[in-house]
Amino acid sequence: MCKLTESRLIFLLLISMVATVCKAAPDKYSIGSSATAEQISGWDIDVRPDGTGLPHGAGSVEDGELIYEEKCASCHGSFGEGMDRWPILAGGEDTLTDDRPEKTVGSYWPFVSTLWDYIHRAMPFLQPQSLVDNEVYALTAYILYLNDLVEDDFTLSRENFTTVKLPNEMAFVDDPRPDVENQRCMQNCRDPESIKITWDSTDLGVTPTEHLQPEAVEDNAVLAAGSPDSGEQTYRTACSVCHDAGAAGAPVAGDKSAWTARLEKGIDVLIEHAINGYQGELGYMPAKGGNPNLEDQQVQEAVDYMIKLVN
Amino acid sequence: MKQKKTSRRQFMKNAALMAGAGTIGIERSVANIEDANLPPSVPEWMKKMGRGVVTVPYGTPSPYEDKVIRRTVPWLTASPISSISFSPLHELKGIITPSALHFERYHAGVPEINPDEHRLMIHGLCENPLIFTMADLMRFPSVSEIRFIECPANGGMEWRGAQMEALQFTHGMVSCSEWTGVKLSVLLDEVGIKPEAKWLLAEGADGAAMGRSIPIEKALDDSIVAYAQNGEMIRPEQGYPVRLVNPGWEGNTSVKWLRRLELGDQPWHLREETSKYTDLMPDGSARRFTFVQEANSVITSVCPEKPLKHKGHHELEGIAWSGRGKISHVDVTFDGGVNWQQAKLKGLVLDKALTRFSFDWDWDGSPALLQARAVDETGYVQPTLGQLREVRGVNSIYHKNAIHTWQLFESGEVRNVQID
Repeated sequence: MCKLTESRLIFLLLISMVATVCKAAPDKYSIGSSATAEQISGWDIDVRPDGTGLPHGAGSVEDGELIYEEKCASCHGSFGEGMDRWPILAGGEDTLTDDRPEKTVGSYWPFVSTLWDYIHRAMPFLQPQSLVDNEVYALTAYILYLNDLVEDDFTLSRENFTTVKLPNEMAFVDDPRPDVENQRCMQNCRDPESIKITWDSTDLGVTPTEHLQPEAVEDNAVLAAGSPDSGEQTYRTACSVCHDAGAAGAPVAGDKSAWTARLEKGIDVLIEHAINGYQGELGYMPAKGGNPNLEDQQVQEAVDYMIKLVN
Repeated sequence: MKQKKTSRRQFMKNAALMAGAGTIGIERSVANIEDANLPPSVPEWMKKMGRGVVTVPYGTPSPYEDKVIRRTVPWLTASPISSISFSPLHELKGIITPSALHFERYHAGVPEINPDEHRLMIHGLCENPLIFTMADLMRFPSVSEIRFIECPANGGMEWRGAQMEALQFTHGMVSCSEWTGVKLSVLLDEVGIKPEAKWLLAEGADGAAMGRSIPIEKALDDSIVAYAQNGEMIRPEQGYPVRLVNPGWEGNTSVKWLRRLELGDQPWHLREETSKYTDLMPDGSARRFTFVQEANSVITSVCPEKPLKHKGHHELEGIAWSGRGKISHVDVTFDGGVNWQQAKLKGLVLDKALTRFSFDWDWDGSPALLQARAVDETGYVQPTLGQLREVRGVNSIYHKNAIHTWQLFESGEVRNVQID
């Protein structure tokens, strides 16, 4: 028979209390708030290949062309050919096995949903999530048209969305790596005579190497405001993205006709728009060109530089 | 061997100025050194007081280190808002990349996020969709893990041939930090995942709402929802106030400025896992969801930015890393891969972290072809570029982890070359 003494009973009681207070990690921590259906629907923007996530709506190739010319062509080109280094959207059929493949929506992308989803979440560059759903349908339809995948009278809608297939869908395969096997050889692993230098990086001369020069000033550094070339430097690093090519309706630097009407507003107004941002009929200017770290004076000097180019 | 092009390289100009026994080049700063501060004189900074505490409340590097910065290659991308910069690997020591020097990759620039107004939503195929504030996330038990993050395009400019004249540009899209946060598996337990949930969409709060599909196995294994980097809150460039860290996987999956995780039964095939971050093969097929960063290494103490200035002893150093686990060996060669010698692994050797290797070396002034070759704990041996090209051609952009060659000249100059 076992008879517990009073002190033992108290000891056991204490142990059980300690165990309650200091219990190990729980299954759940009950941290966080329930996400309401309304909160989820505002943030749940993704669209899958099977059409899951698509909102009601529709848009035609014809409507898409107008929006595209206004909001997309300055970077992607009127035919989806891509300006400067901005992405090419159309063409490139049957080039994937070429020496220089051209990977476009038509030649490479696997799913139409990717196009709808990406335009909706990220385009136009500088004004993401500014398009309404029907505009996204119309632009998707138009880019399919640029790739000869639909006719010019086509209208894309949630209902017919999954009937449009991209030609390269079946070319995608899952990751087979490791796909290359090397051996850890230590001695006499190859014939010394067989070693040939096939490429020397200095042949092309395409590396920014200013910083390897003694006492170099680096090209990509933004010069402090007030230094002699800071307006041009700021322009190169912060403004040329749009103002070199006219992206987002930006007046092209050096194009007098594009600047005349704007200059009539007065230089102070232009500087104010450049610093604080401006939505005009012709285009959209993000505050400080999307570079909030610029000082106001740097922006002003960049505007002065651009004005100098047309005077 | 190709003819050397001497005119382009400032180093050669320096070498021409060389003087004195034992040295074969000069430091650019040598000319500026004040004799008055050298022995036997007492240097000027010992004769006055320096600045007091909190003169610089958040410290900065010495002004003499102003060349230790991230750099970019402007022609790579259309705009710096959607671009990449490279860590200065040639200047870094140990295995931790200072947060301010971690490579950058943005698709729509750095969003300026007020952490009090930031939320992480987890929803989809789960029992209890939740929204977390930053304070909520910090109430969960945390982990701190040292892990590398590497852009899968690291080295991708050189599939066809060598064209970058600096280590910073050949390998600088890799960095390594101590990441602190909540294990993603803990958060998924909290929402209660449904059995049919096989994939997770991770989405950022940037202007590209950058998103990637992640298999649930990874999310339940070692993914971290991280809010701190190297002891302080994550830098804006790295995802402030919170990011996903998928250890060992291509950096793009470690979604920054994380705002949403959706559980689903299949992947989403968003732009960054179809149009981009897929690997085009010579037969026209394309590999998708190529997540793992396979074993890689590079010599960093001898490189185009760090020409040799002395014969004699050198501690040859470099970094190695593998997305499949720990580095087990690194070998080095001086003859282009005829004979190899095992380097020693220095300091911490961690899972999916940069690992520093070192080799004591006496340089006799001879030309050499230097390479490093990493082996990871799975037995995977870092391949040659020829082996990679044979299978993958030259148009796959991503996941080039080939053995890298530095050509060392008698002058001490070092060039990035490729050999057959």
